[in-house]
Amino acid sequence: MPEENPNPLTREAFDYLAQAAGLDLADPHLDELFPYARNALAGMERLRQIAVADAEPAQAFRPAQSFQE
Amino acid sequence: MDALELCYLSAGELARMLGGREVSPVEVIDAHLSRIADTEPVLNSFITLLPEHARAAAQRAEAQIQAGQYRGPLHGIPVGLKDLFNTAGVRTTSGSRLFDNFLPERDCTVAARFQQAGAILLGKLNMHQFAYGPTGENFDYGHTHNPWDPERITGGSSGGSGAATAAGQCTITMGSDTGGSVRIPAALCGIVGLKPTYGLVSRAGLTPLSWCLDHPGPMTRTVTDAALTLSVIAGYDPQDPASAQGNIPDYAAALTGSVPGIRIGIPREYFDAPLDSEVAQTVSAAIALLEQLGAEVTEVSLPMFPDSQAISGTILMAEAAAYHRELLAKDGDKLDPAVRLRLEAGLFVTAADYLKAQQARAKFNREMAALFREVDLLAGPAEPITAPPILAVEVDINGQAVGTTAALTQYTRPYNISGSPAISLPCGFSASGMPIGLQLAGKPFAEATVLQAAYAYEQATDWHTRRPPI
Repeated sequence: MPEENPNPLTREAFDYLAQAAGLDLADPHLDELFPYARNALAGMERLRQIAVADAEPAQAFRPAQSFQE
Repeated sequence: MDALELCYLSAGELARMLGGREVSPVEVIDAHLSRIADTEPVLNSFITLLPEHARAAAQRAEAQIQAGQYRGPLHGIPVGLKDLFNTAGVRTTSGSRLFDNFLPERDCTVAARFQQAGAILLGKLNMHQFAYGPTGENFDYGHTHNPWDPERITGGSSGGSGAATAAGQCTITMGSDTGGSVRIPAALCGIVGLKPTYGLVSRAGLTPLSWCLDHPGPMTRTVTDAALTLSVIAGYDPQDPASAQGNIPDYAAALTGSVPGIRIGIPREYFDAPLDSEVAQTVSAAIALLEQLGAEVTEVSLPMFPDSQAISGTILMAEAAAYHRELLAKDGDKLDPAVRLRLEAGLFVTAADYLKAQQARAKFNREMAALFREVDLLAGPAEPITAPPILAVEVDINGQAVGTTAALTQYTRPYNISGSPAISLPCGFSASGMPIGLQLAGKPFAEATVLQAAYAYEQATDWHTRRPPI
């Protein structure tokens, strides 16, 4: 089933994620980053609509390559 | 031959003259340095110019050629590298003042292969900071200006490479293409830009933007020069984990100018997307010419084309943020503010979203692979617009406002997702005199077919012979 994003990024969630990402919550720059990040993540909404149950991620693990010199 | 004419000769033409000792590498380099001195105040293509290095290399090349040690078609040819290709002892900034004093210890593989072939490095070329933007604007080193109209962008991120090649400052330049950064400036500056198959040209020694989307590629004024360059820089490199094994053909020698039997598909979705009507007419005429030349042209469908921005954008955001994370924490306030925002936004992409984008990429590539069982090439516009003014945030496409970044990457991103070869070549000009690019793409490692069709088109037209007014 295609997914939907029922919870667009809120400022509270943004602050939580920003802190987890190591950003300084006291930095006034975050006031600029919040709307930018919200818009950028909204652009990914289309991704959530794609049904991908039948596809493994394109980045495959290739053990033979990992053990090459 | 006067100096300006030398600057507009192709690498193939210059090679014939250099190999035949009709002109010396010193004359060629001096002509290009003079051209750079005349045009650089307007274009700002270079971050670092290397006149002494280039003259010394030219003198060595001259001595070698006179001694009968001619190395081949790039010997003595003036080249430029986007400033994210590491060059031993020559600063490599990636378009950021933070790296003003970064002197790599080793050449990247591409630079080493150019040097082995005898090419002469003129300098390091301007670019969008960290290659994270499609316009070529740079607030640290100044914007690069389009040779056809300096008020307009070159496109990016390899903007200096586009301007330098179009204006005759360099015969060959290199760019890197993560979402279109070779083909966008090629289209907007009226030159040839080839994004080879992922893994064909080594990424070792390049500053990454997105490990799984980055493709180094040549930018030239002719298709033959792109083919000559590819034969020199392509090939397996154990230093690049994604490097592909396989023999590298002589791509230029295989160019015949013949397209009969080549099947070209035109995805109908390309013409449903925002597309300037003048560009649409020009590209349609170019495709019609390929059909007249004997190609079999059919309409096809790529239903996931509208998903390509979300797939590519999600992967790019996450990988770019991962690579630059430490820099962001330490020196984020010293970055171009727009690039900083793009990088930081990637910190908010979840692992699940990143992996979903990789799943969607696999699905997208299945669709692309199915198309390439029906046709040999896909064709369409390289760009939906001609070069917009510098710092334009939005562009008008037939009365519709579209974000500049989204517009510029609309037709290029699909082939970064698929990793397949794609070329932009000149196919006309707008009424305002700005170049328009035709994009041709093939299945992975079908560079020879892509180049063949591009060459056939080029030979039937004279767009590539036009020079910008600068």
